[in-house]
Amino acid sequence: MAGKDGSGKMLDFTDSRQVSLPISRVKLIMKSSPDVSNINQDALFLTAKATELFVQYLATYSYKKGTGRETKCLTYGDLARSPEECDTFQFLADILPKKILARDYLKLLEEEEKGDEGDGEESDDSD
Amino acid sequence: MPSSALGLVPSQPFSVQPNGRFEKMDGDNSTTDASQLGIAGDYIGGSHYVLQSQEDDGDDGMNDNEDGIGSKDGFREQDIYLPIANVARIMKNAIPPTGKIAKDAKECVQECVSEFISFITSEASERCHQEKRKTINGEDILFAMSTLGFDSYVEPLKLYLQKFREAMKGEKGIVTSVTVADGLGDELTDESFTNQLPAGLITADGQQQNVMVYTTSYQQISGVQQIQFS
Repeated sequence: MAGKDGSGKMLDFTDSRQVSLPISRVKLIMKSSPDVSNINQDALFLTAKATELFVQYLATYSYKKGTGRETKCLTYGDLARSPEECDTFQFLADILPKKILARDYLKLLEEEEKGDEGDGEESDDSD
Repeated sequence: MPSSALGLVPSQPFSVQPNGRFEKMDGDNSTTDASQLGIAGDYIGGSHYVLQSQEDDGDDGMNDNEDGIGSKDGFREQDIYLPIANVARIMKNAIPPTGKIAKDAKECVQECVSEFISFITSEASERCHQEKRKTINGEDILFAMSTLGFDSYVEPLKLYLQKFREAMKGEKGIVTSVTVADGLGDELTDESFTNQLPAGLITADGQQQNVMVYTTSYQQISGVQQIQFS
C-alpha cells in the first residue's frame, strides 16, 4: 500500500523516513507512564518505528501459528495463544486472556462447586 | 435453565470490554453480580478467562471512538490507543494478501500496542532516572528494547534513525502519511524532526500548540493543518 504526499510522489510505507503511526498519540501513551517527564525526538521516532515492527511481528507470528485452525483468518484466539508460545510476548499475557463461552465457563463453575461441596448440592437442573 | 440460579443465561449476549470487563447487554436485574459469581467483574476467577459473547463479532461498546481514545474527559491510561485504522493497516501488510483479520483481533492488537509502548517506556524511563537525566533519549529506548527481548530490533532501528536524520537534513520537510480520525490536531509540530531542534521540547503536560519550532528551513505555525513542500 502506498499513499501520496503533497507533490504527488508515491510514498512507500516502508520508507524509513516515514512512520505510519501518529507520533502525537505515541507520545501521549508514553507520557501516561509514571515518572516520564520529557521525551526526545529520537526516542519518539524509535518508539513509533519499533511499534510498527512489533505489530508486524505479532501479526505474522500469530497468523502463522494459527493457520490450520481458522485458515486464512487471524483471530483473537491466535493472538491469545502467543504469550504461551513465545517468551517475547509474555508481557501481554494479562491483557490477552483466553475467551470462553459463558456456558462453558458456567459448567466449569458448577463442576468446581460440586467438587468443593463434595455432595453435589443441586444448584441447577440437569439438561 | 441450568444456570438460572447463578443469574447468568448463556444464550444472552455479553459485551466484552477490552480490559476484560463484561457487561450483560440486556437491562434486566438478574444477578450478573460479580459478587454472586464470585468474581470481581474483571477477569473471571482464577482461571483467567474472559466471557465471549455468542456472536463475538467485536461487540459494540468496546471503543467509543474509532480512533482509540476511550473518553475525552480524562484519559485513563488503558484507554489510549493508536488509531485502529493504522494498526489494522500494518497488520494487513504483514500477513499474506489472502489473509483476513477478525475485528476483535484488530482491537486486541491495538491494546497490545499500547501495552508495548508503555512497557518500553517505563523501562527506558527507569534507566533515564538511574542516570539522573530527565529526558528519555534514543539510547534509552534502544537499551530498553534489548533488555526486554526485542534485541533484534535494535540494529534495524538504528539504521532507520540514521536514514531518517539524513532525510531530514536533505529535505525541506515531509508530510506524514495521513492518519485516520486522529483528532488531536497537533500533528504539525511532529514534522519538525530536524537536527536543529533542541532536545526535549515536549512539555510535561503534553501541550504542543504553544511550541514554536524554528529550523533553518522552515517555520511551523501551530494551527496550520498541513504543510506541503514541493
